[in-house]
Amino acid sequence: MSHTVLICDDAIFMRTMVGDILSQAGFEVVGEAETGVQAVEKYKQLKPDLVTMDIVMPDMGGIDAVREICKHDPQARILMCSAMGQQALVVEAIQAGAKDFVVKPFQPSRVLEAVQRVLG
Amino acid sequence: MDPSQYADLFLTESREHVSAMNQWLLQLEREGAAGSAEPVSAIFRAVHTVKGMSATMGYAAVAELSHELETLLDRVRRGELAVNAELMDLLFRSADVLETSIEGAVAGRAVPMDDVMRRLRAFGESRPSPAAPLPERSDEPNEWTAPLPVGSGMLVRVRLQPETPLKGVRAFLVVQALRRLGDVIVVSPPVSSLQAEQFGHDFALRLVTTVGEAEIDRVARGAGDVVAVQIGEPGGAPRSAAAPEPRLSRAEPVVSPATAADSLALGVARLAQKEPPSVTVPNAAAEAAEATGVRQSRHVRIDLRRLDSLMNLIGELVITRGRLLQISTGLEDPALADSVTQASRLIGDLRDEIMTSRMVPVWQIFDRFPRLVRDASRALGKRIEFTIDGKDIELDRSMLDEIGDPIVHLLRNAIDHGIESPEERVAAGKPAAGKLRLSAARDRSAVMIRVSDDGKGIDRDRVLAKAKATGLIDPNKTSLNDDELLRIIGRPGFSTAERVTDLSGRGVGIDAVYTRVRALGGAVDIRSAPGQGTTATLRLPLTLAIVRALLARVADEVYAIPLTHVSETVELQDAALRTLQGREVLVLRSDVLPVLRLRALVGLGQRAAVAGQPNEQVIIIDLPDRRVGLVVDELGGQQEIVVKQFDGVKDGLTFFGGATILGNGSPALIVDVSSFP
Repeated sequence: MSHTVLICDDAIFMRTMVGDILSQAGFEVVGEAETGVQAVEKYKQLKPDLVTMDIVMPDMGGIDAVREICKHDPQARILMCSAMGQQALVVEAIQAGAKDFVVKPFQPSRVLEAVQRVLG
Repeated sequence: MDPSQYADLFLTESREHVSAMNQWLLQLEREGAAGSAEPVSAIFRAVHTVKGMSATMGYAAVAELSHELETLLDRVRRGELAVNAELMDLLFRSADVLETSIEGAVAGRAVPMDDVMRRLRAFGESRPSPAAPLPERSDEPNEWTAPLPVGSGMLVRVRLQPETPLKGVRAFLVVQALRRLGDVIVVSPPVSSLQAEQFGHDFALRLVTTVGEAEIDRVARGAGDVVAVQIGEPGGAPRSAAAPEPRLSRAEPVVSPATAADSLALGVARLAQKEPPSVTVPNAAAEAAEATGVRQSRHVRIDLRRLDSLMNLIGELVITRGRLLQISTGLEDPALADSVTQASRLIGDLRDEIMTSRMVPVWQIFDRFPRLVRDASRALGKRIEFTIDGKDIELDRSMLDEIGDPIVHLLRNAIDHGIESPEERVAAGKPAAGKLRLSAARDRSAVMIRVSDDGKGIDRDRVLAKAKATGLIDPNKTSLNDDELLRIIGRPGFSTAERVTDLSGRGVGIDAVYTRVRALGGAVDIRSAPGQGTTATLRLPLTLAIVRALLARVADEVYAIPLTHVSETVELQDAALRTLQGREVLVLRSDVLPVLRLRALVGLGQRAAVAGQPNEQVIIIDLPDRRVGLVVDELGGQQEIVVKQFDGVKDGLTFFGGATILGNGSPALIVDVSSFP
């Protein structure tokens, strides 16, 4: 059975692109979230195998969402999506429970490698 | 993966972000430093999102610009930079350049941005520079350069790939992964330097563990981007004296990795248990999510082309409906008539629904005007209070795309020529700040868009003088009424501007607005009172695609005349026809109207006089600046028609705005009355 994914990003553009990369690699995108609050709620609802999480999102940011999700499910497998120049935030996200990260601009191979590491 | 397939999405979404950015910038300017927190973080978010998207698309220039802008905004957010006029100016400027660079990137054009980049980088340079980052050690990627840490434990050296993104974080991940195997005693360079990316490609640490080298190697590499792992002292060199063999006591806290991992997991699990899901909070959150979930499910993004094709299909269906109605009326079968009536009503509902789905609120274009007004009034040294009403009024998407320019033109005219300078206004006993209002309102099946100002009004004397000078009007006239004024300023090329400004352009007056609005099947009305201001009203149909038209016949041909401009029809009485200065005119009540004959326009000869045939009909056409009588052989009733644009207008088709298929299946040309001479 293919792994299920929840994609969290406030930009449709990014969600579409990450979604395409993952579904082409055989993942099943089961949900999308535009804000941190949505991410947490959808995680609880969908219990996906993998979450991709943008750091900068309206209402609750990505890092707080990671914290909330990990509080709910310490086994959550979350991949942070970050941009250049966000070292400190990514470190914070990892301390909050994220398993790995990818840096925009996304290259499909790098995204998939990171996903394998997170799931592995 | 080919990013070009995402270009449309990128463009749409980036535009939204730039527009949001401008809105927030205006708010930031209004509220100043005191209320800066919310606008600044919203702008930061918008810029950040654009940065990520553009980098992904490979639009390096956009990504670079948004990166610089983001850096600046971050400093504003942290309070290092004050919100002042200079900063606002730079931010507005950057938003503009960002917008053009986005459009440019998608279109494959390079957009010059050196100037704004320089200003962004140099802004507030006098600040105490944060600890200058160490020059990055881009030493040989294949050498071990990190100083060896001194201490107990096994030496582990890790080298990352040369191009590792966010290598500091990657190093941190590696260290964290190794921590799960035992105790990391010391890291070199220190973790803080690693996080700040102040290292070359490699780092080293000492690990006290019971697992074997192979496992250490596997775990370190498993953290990603690791190209080399070296375990043990290099070249069997003697350990430094300060690094004694791990004593048992030192090793005592070392637990088996499995236990460590388990206890960690258990700890977390306990933590989770200690805080059983509280009843109130998650429920409240769930309710909120449910609420947003419901709201979300109401919206779907649809490709505009799909809506266009739906519109086309329903257009065809409306035509077929006309045909069906005609046939069923001929057959006089009650059962058939019933079904056809039913189907006809459903088709009407369907058409309304589809038209509604294409409607978008006018704020989608109105939202960029506050910024425009601000810039224009600043450039001209005027003070303006700008208000917008009726933002939620909806128009067909195709219409909305077309009316932006005319509105911009009217706003610029008002700012440039209407509203006076603060000194002039005060001298005239008005408040120093002029009022400019843009509003949209629904009026039956039309939308009225109004731009009004409280400025000095159109200078009638000047228009009159200019009109006399160019021979547009009787030289003996001493004043102009509103309709005459409207007719004159709507003439192509008419302008009273004395100087060319950046704003209103060179000598292009209100005629540009007229031409565009007419082409859309709308009408323009301008009312102006000296010293009190000017109000321009655009009356627009809701959609471009389906219009009600009056059918007219000449010889065997049927033509459709959109009802937008038809005020009435009258039967042609010979007595009402006169010839004035060699032209045929019609006397209608107290008015004298020029007469056009549709037969002549389409190249048919005069109608043969046959005894007993009905009189010809005149369609009175009301244009904003004049009225015209159009003579046709016969009227054919009203019908909803679906406008099909011509692909290319050929010679001789100048008077036609498109074609349509009538209810009986035959084609008909649509007369474009606004193009009449």
